[in-house]
Amino acid sequence: MSVNPATTRLGDFWTEFRRSPSGVVGLVLLVLFAAVAVLGPALSPYPEAGTSWRSIEYWQDEPANAPPAWTNLFAREKGAVSARLAAADSAAEEGEGYRVERASFAYDFSYDRPPLDLILHFRVDEPAPVSVAIERPDGRRVELVNSTVEPVSGEARISLDKEAGAAVLDFVRGIEPPEALERLDGSSLEPTAILFAEAEPGLTTAPRALKGKYRITLETIVVDGAEPASEPVPPRLAVVGRVSGLLGTDAQKRDLFSGAVAGVRYALLIGFLTALVSVAVGVVYGALSAYAGGLVDAAMQRFFEIMSSMPLLPFMIVLSAIFKPSIVTMIVLMVLFFWTGSVKTVRSMALQIKEETYIEAAKALGAGGPRILFRHIVPILVPYSFASMALAVPGAIVYEATVSLLGLGDASIVTWGQILHDALSGGAVLNGVWWWVVPPGLLIALMGMTFAFLGFAMDKILHPKLRTR
Amino acid sequence: MEPILQVQDLRMHYHTSKGAVKAIDGITFDIMPGETLGLVGESGCGKTSMGCSILRMPSPPGRYEGGKVIVAGRDILPLPEKEIRKDVRWEEVSMVFQGAMNCLTPVYTIGRQMLETLQEHREMEPGEARALIDEYLKLVGLTPEVAQRYPHELSGGMKQRVVIAMALFLKPKVVILDEPTTALDVIVQAQIINLLKKLKQTFDLSFIFITHDLALEAEVADRILVMYAGKIAELGTNEQIFGAKGPSHPYTEKLLQATPLLHKKVEHLHFIPGTPPDLITPPKGCRFNPRCEKCMDKCREEEPPLVEIEPGHQVACWLHAKN
Amino acid sequence: MDNDIILRVENLKKHFQPHLTFSQSITGAKKRKVVKAVDGVTFDIRKGEIFGLIGESGSGKTTTGKLVMKLIDPTEGTMTFQGEDVTHLEKEALKAYRRKVQMIFQDPYASMNPRFKIRDVLEEPLVIHKIHGDRNEREKALIKALTEVKMNPPEEFLGRWPHMLSGGQRQRIATARTLLLNPAMLVADEPVSMIDLSTRAEILHMMKDVQRDLGLTYLYITHDLSTARYFTDRIAVMYLGRIVEMGPADMIIDDPKHPYTKALIDAVPEPMSGKVGVIKELPISGEIPSPANIPSGCRFHTRCPYAVPACSELPEPELEDCGGGHLHACRRWKEI
Repeated sequence: MSVNPATTRLGDFWTEFRRSPSGVVGLVLLVLFAAVAVLGPALSPYPEAGTSWRSIEYWQDEPANAPPAWTNLFAREKGAVSARLAAADSAAEEGEGYRVERASFAYDFSYDRPPLDLILHFRVDEPAPVSVAIERPDGRRVELVNSTVEPVSGEARISLDKEAGAAVLDFVRGIEPPEALERLDGSSLEPTAILFAEAEPGLTTAPRALKGKYRITLETIVVDGAEPASEPVPPRLAVVGRVSGLLGTDAQKRDLFSGAVAGVRYALLIGFLTALVSVAVGVVYGALSAYAGGLVDAAMQRFFEIMSSMPLLPFMIVLSAIFKPSIVTMIVLMVLFFWTGSVKTVRSMALQIKEETYIEAAKALGAGGPRILFRHIVPILVPYSFASMALAVPGAIVYEATVSLLGLGDASIVTWGQILHDALSGGAVLNGVWWWVVPPGLLIALMGMTFAFLGFAMDKILHPKLRTR
Repeated sequence: MEPILQVQDLRMHYHTSKGAVKAIDGITFDIMPGETLGLVGESGCGKTSMGCSILRMPSPPGRYEGGKVIVAGRDILPLPEKEIRKDVRWEEVSMVFQGAMNCLTPVYTIGRQMLETLQEHREMEPGEARALIDEYLKLVGLTPEVAQRYPHELSGGMKQRVVIAMALFLKPKVVILDEPTTALDVIVQAQIINLLKKLKQTFDLSFIFITHDLALEAEVADRILVMYAGKIAELGTNEQIFGAKGPSHPYTEKLLQATPLLHKKVEHLHFIPGTPPDLITPPKGCRFNPRCEKCMDKCREEEPPLVEIEPGHQVACWLHAKN
Repeated sequence: MDNDIILRVENLKKHFQPHLTFSQSITGAKKRKVVKAVDGVTFDIRKGEIFGLIGESGSGKTTTGKLVMKLIDPTEGTMTFQGEDVTHLEKEALKAYRRKVQMIFQDPYASMNPRFKIRDVLEEPLVIHKIHGDRNEREKALIKALTEVKMNPPEEFLGRWPHMLSGGQRQRIATARTLLLNPAMLVADEPVSMIDLSTRAEILHMMKDVQRDLGLTYLYITHDLSTARYFTDRIAVMYLGRIVEMGPADMIIDDPKHPYTKALIDAVPEPMSGKVGVIKELPISGEIPSPANIPSGCRFHTRCPYAVPACSELPEPELEDCGGGHLHACRRWKEI
């Protein structure tokens, strides 16, 4: 069978590739992963998850260890879902020398279990008096906060869970019988549990959810003349739910879906870069070794054997422990060990190609070593390299995950391995926080499978029929 | 005398994605006991396909499109595979494939490989089988000691003898030899040809000798069938083709002129310009017309019939066909 | 030195040392059997002639061709090309030598990189030797070379792939590729043995025309006496690494002196009727011995029907002239 010109060869490759179902599955998965990697920030509720994974402030409005929102479908008592609300309407009321800025939020509560907290964010430049009130579906209005807030870099944050304890206690006083009140201890009171419950006796012990539309009003008094130091930021209300997001949150309140999405990029980067560089090095090394022959070949093969018999994992662990590991050093380290993967096959293939008449013909024409190596031998190895590249990708991903799992990953990014590491050290398994463990584990397996499928399919087509004529 | 093998209007096409390759397109001939039929033509004319088709093992994607192959009085094409294996293949007709000598397994001794072939067809005591192997090795001019050797220890000529011995095992009446001497040197080739002649005389065997080399056919074949593009161009006796009068089909004539003669110094060797036609869409009219010097208008329009111009001499050419 | 002689080969030898197996190297057991592929070959090729090197497989003819082509280095002996010693050449000198001596290989299907278009195949020698930097000039050179080997129309072939061409066409391309370097001599190793008989002559014609037009010298290596007679001016017959007979082609074939040449000639089949029933008398039996185990004395004596004890006992006979430039290496040539 003769080799076809490049275009039809590609066409032939495609026709054969299509016949391998696993290859097609791999390709579809790869396309999906690539799409997620590109669209990443647009898909996730926390676009900066990749770089802000370890920032406490970035995640402070999320619940800790909250299951995914869709678990409500299977739960008897539906928990409030985390949400971020913008002000439904806002107005400003001018007084003498001051201005009252009012913003109100509408919250439709239709769950059985109340949110854990309501957090208000708004802009103030200087310490300012603030009041927050809630209007319940039963018409009751509760003044929750009435104090002066200290802004942090132009922004104030009020957590009702922390600030509204006293006001809620007052509210309870009007409802609960005195004997119940005696048992009450202000600090054990959960403000949101009270606020979202029917106003009836037993409110504090067995609250019944009061479903309906709530309105939260925020009033700030701004002294005139003080020009806003920052851009006006519209106030917002974060509902810290019982359940959150597509994949829930971890113990550090991080949205796991955003983490998983951000991880796709790093997995692809680590996988591709490691595979590309290491296979390129391996192919050139193997071809050179075969072409040079004799003593050079023997020496290169011994070096190769030493390298390939060195265990990568202990090295990575030791080096990561000594140096501050970064994704770049990790890739370099993996390349240093991974290149050996394709050498043996490449060398044996090159030995075969070396004996072809056209190599001898090129020699007879006066071609030197580099030309024969790079113009005649290496191009024929390229299809095989693609296959072995695809097969090297999962290895790289799993190694990075392993090192990260041991807590030695690059701290400035988020990878699936790191999520798994945090889950283990955070006791996710013991606490039954399955949504912390299963998705990153599955993703690592899926990504590995994608490239393994692609690799096997390509290998089957390209490798056994190294068509040299 | 009854012919031992008859091929009647045989058609075998390879069904490829580009269309049907008409490798054998209506071929009729027969072979008498003790006769050697030479099958000659350029590469790609359907010679090898012919050999495999007689054994009812066309290589895929080949399919029979019609005709008959009559072995010992019955058409073997409709027979079930099991019966073919039991009664026909190797029992009646065997074949030495092109390059078969290079297909001996390097890890087994010659004796073991011969034994396996034997046992595939016959239940036999090991002692009896070994005696038979020795006998056949002697028959092809080898010492029985060869059975203990591995293929790489034998020369090309010796391996070819082993392969011929394996084809003769079950005493077939017809042996098909596909280019049995192509890879061999001239002296070894002459030795093998001599061996075949001796075998033919001793056993009254019939051979189908496939080659591209007309000079070789002159040495071995009683009758010669010249194939061109899946069809018979000319079929005649050795004398009719190689005699003083020369062949009758322009293709055979050209082929003969292109064969260099050792003992005659020629200033200009002949050759046939162009290449054999594509068998998916063969040329209209005579398939040889684009390369033929004697091409007439009629040749481009109508396919010439195969006519008998003298007893036993058939030619498919408009120069000889009468209307 | 004769100015007419383009290549002089004297007592050229190539011995291959087989690799020791691991156990052999430890025990240091057996002495290695040296494979004497070429074992003392002497010949001259005159400028503008076609010199045929004939032999069976194992005769050392291909190794001799590779030695002349300098693809391998000789173990012993000297080679003089155009008056200069070329026995051992280093990088630059070797590259310069390659411009003068080129090679056509046996297998036209394997001698071109399947991933190269015809244009790339042809440009390769130009790129290697940095000739014709200018695009137009290069194009012209390619077209000229293709025209020389009668590939018409030449432009049409440049964009094609080797697999789209027939064996004959590929062999033309291979010839064109060598011509681009303007060589003085071509080594052709069985250039037509893989080409269909019907078109073989066409390629030989083409090669002969090119040789005449460009005043080339050929070293034509073959096992086929019939084409050699037609194609060559002089023939050297090799047996087990040595030349046993050499001389003008017609003389060798019409009046062979050496029993081996006689046997070779007798074995060639001829397309004539009336030979079917006849079992051909072959003067020699058996097959060529292994070059690792060369018989003593005259190396042909083991198969020679005329051998007498002296043939194996006396030292190997040298080539001797029996008139008209016809040399042979047989002691008993007068008696047989």
